[in-house]
Amino acid sequence: MEKTQSHYNRIAAIFFLIVGIFFTLYARSVEIGSWNEPGPGFLPFWAGLTLSAMSIALLLGSYGKKAWAVRPSFFPKDDSWKRVLLTFLSLIAYNLLLNPLGFAFTTFLFLAFLVKFIFPQTWRRTLLVAVLGSVIARLLFINFLETQLPKGFLGF
Amino acid sequence: MDLFSHILLGAQVLFTPMNLFFCFIGVLMGTLVGVLPGLGPTAAIALLLPNTFHVSPVTAIIMLAGIYYGAMYGGSTTSILVNIPGEAASVITTLDGYQMALKGRAGPALGIAAFGSFIAGTISVIGLMLVAPPLAKFALAFGPPEYFSLMLMGIVVLIYMAFGSILKALMMAVFGLLLGTIGMDAISGTQRLTFGLLELSDGIGFIPAIMGLFGVAEVIANIEQEIKRELITTKLKNLLPNLQDWKDSFWPMIRGSVLGFFIGVLPGPAPVISAFSSYAIEKKLSQHPEKFGTGVIEGVAGPESANNAATGGAFIPLFTLGIPANSVIAILLGAFMIHGIQPGPMLITKYPDLFWGTIMSMYLGNVMLLVLNLPLIGLWVKVLKVPYPILFPLILLFCLVGVFSLNYSQVEVALMIGFGVFGYLARKFQFEMAPLVLALVIGPMMENNLRLSLVISQGSPWIFIEHPISATFIFISLALLISPWIPWIGRRRKKLQEKVEGEQI
Repeated sequence: MEKTQSHYNRIAAIFFLIVGIFFTLYARSVEIGSWNEPGPGFLPFWAGLTLSAMSIALLLGSYGKKAWAVRPSFFPKDDSWKRVLLTFLSLIAYNLLLNPLGFAFTTFLFLAFLVKFIFPQTWRRTLLVAVLGSVIARLLFINFLETQLPKGFLGF
Repeated sequence: MDLFSHILLGAQVLFTPMNLFFCFIGVLMGTLVGVLPGLGPTAAIALLLPNTFHVSPVTAIIMLAGIYYGAMYGGSTTSILVNIPGEAASVITTLDGYQMALKGRAGPALGIAAFGSFIAGTISVIGLMLVAPPLAKFALAFGPPEYFSLMLMGIVVLIYMAFGSILKALMMAVFGLLLGTIGMDAISGTQRLTFGLLELSDGIGFIPAIMGLFGVAEVIANIEQEIKRELITTKLKNLLPNLQDWKDSFWPMIRGSVLGFFIGVLPGPAPVISAFSSYAIEKKLSQHPEKFGTGVIEGVAGPESANNAATGGAFIPLFTLGIPANSVIAILLGAFMIHGIQPGPMLITKYPDLFWGTIMSMYLGNVMLLVLNLPLIGLWVKVLKVPYPILFPLILLFCLVGVFSLNYSQVEVALMIGFGVFGYLARKFQFEMAPLVLALVIGPMMENNLRLSLVISQGSPWIFIEHPISATFIFISLALLISPWIPWIGRRRKKLQEKVEGEQI
């Protein structure tokens, strides 16, 4: 099925409708207050309602008769999703491994993985970038800028 | 002579080895991130912010400001040589700049971009110096209703300038306001949606948000497919534009500077908008508009001056009202607060050394940039030759380290990744980031002023109309929101958008 802009808008509208309703309901639990004395839930309540209303408008608009241009498919290439997913996963992995493994080692793994597997480079190049990158980053951030990055169990 | 003594004060502040050094580091870093596509001034400032904690506030602001205007210089280099804008503000420069490079005139193009930036930078600093102090005095009369309406107008202007649908831009702004309510409520102390996390009780940090939305999301969008870049490798000699080039570019530079300065004062991605507007104006005024896009020097001189002048203008709302006009300035605002400086109309009077020192540093920074850019272009070109498959992991690393080193918090890194996912998807669904970021940053300020206003008026929302200054802001906001539905103006806005979109690479 060919995706049109209205198709995309419909998905987005539903997402924001959920967000809007969530905030509207949530605001009731932290006291909305009155117009005389607005409470902490005042803005979340009204803004949540506004967002819900706008989402409904976008949703209804997407069923309008207007001829929408056909959008290109979500990913420009068939294998784009792999690169996008792997990169996001490696960011998450970095965040999780940073404390146990230490800055320099995690950085080495992170750089090596991305250089080798996103747009595959030769092993020589991969190691060169990963080693140089992690050593220079270590010197720059820990030794020069004196950032308190974790050193991990390896101690560097 | 009041102004003179102030300038002297600024010079005294600036000419200490420490401040000179940090000014230099700032413009150098700025040029570097300007040259590197996918890493903008926002990310660079966020990255260096934690490292300024141990220096004095003036020194910190001098360096961070240097990154901002330095990036505008650097952005033009990539536009001209590789046809890839280093900054969004340099998109328009690719049109004629790259064509000039193809014709073997990369040197004069780069040269005029540097000189134009210098002249514009100087003009906008003078403007800032003259406009900011009186405006700050005027702003002293502002109370909560005026502040609320002004910020509302700020967001609406940004929405009006949005390239896509106004409804979607509005939704992003409201979403930003909602995200801004997360954290401890400043008035009652209630925790809102913090899930017991300490990191969230101060609100969602805007640095993780910005790094995610702009840094991570941008990189991810770029790695979907391999981009082949062709570098113009003609010899870069004759950087100095000849007399004819100067004649052709003189007025575009002046017009671009003035235009950029005034657009800079408005909220929104001013450097981008001013560059586009300047190009449109030069094309209209030109005697040979058909030649635009084939490598005419006016098409480089005007926009490059405009985007630089806009950076100076953008400091005005910061120094006079304490309101950020865009995401870069928002980080500077954060820097003020971290250093214990309360931004607002009292800033110039209370911290004259900060204001005048920064102003003077901008003069000197512009000179440094000129010196740095003309001889060092060769070096920047080498930086550009680093292939993207190797560059993007490094950019991501910078984002990770930058956010983590703020508070050494994994929660904030996770937030950044989350915003990265959101930003990537929002791009795909054609939602704009700018309204979200501005609303997120000024949302808490807006909320407090809204609630204080309502308390003052005892619950009557009419207070925003009863105060004349506030009423003016509200009126302008409404006019902007309604105008796209008036057929005549709406068509023109649409036309402008189509033009801008068509010209984006």
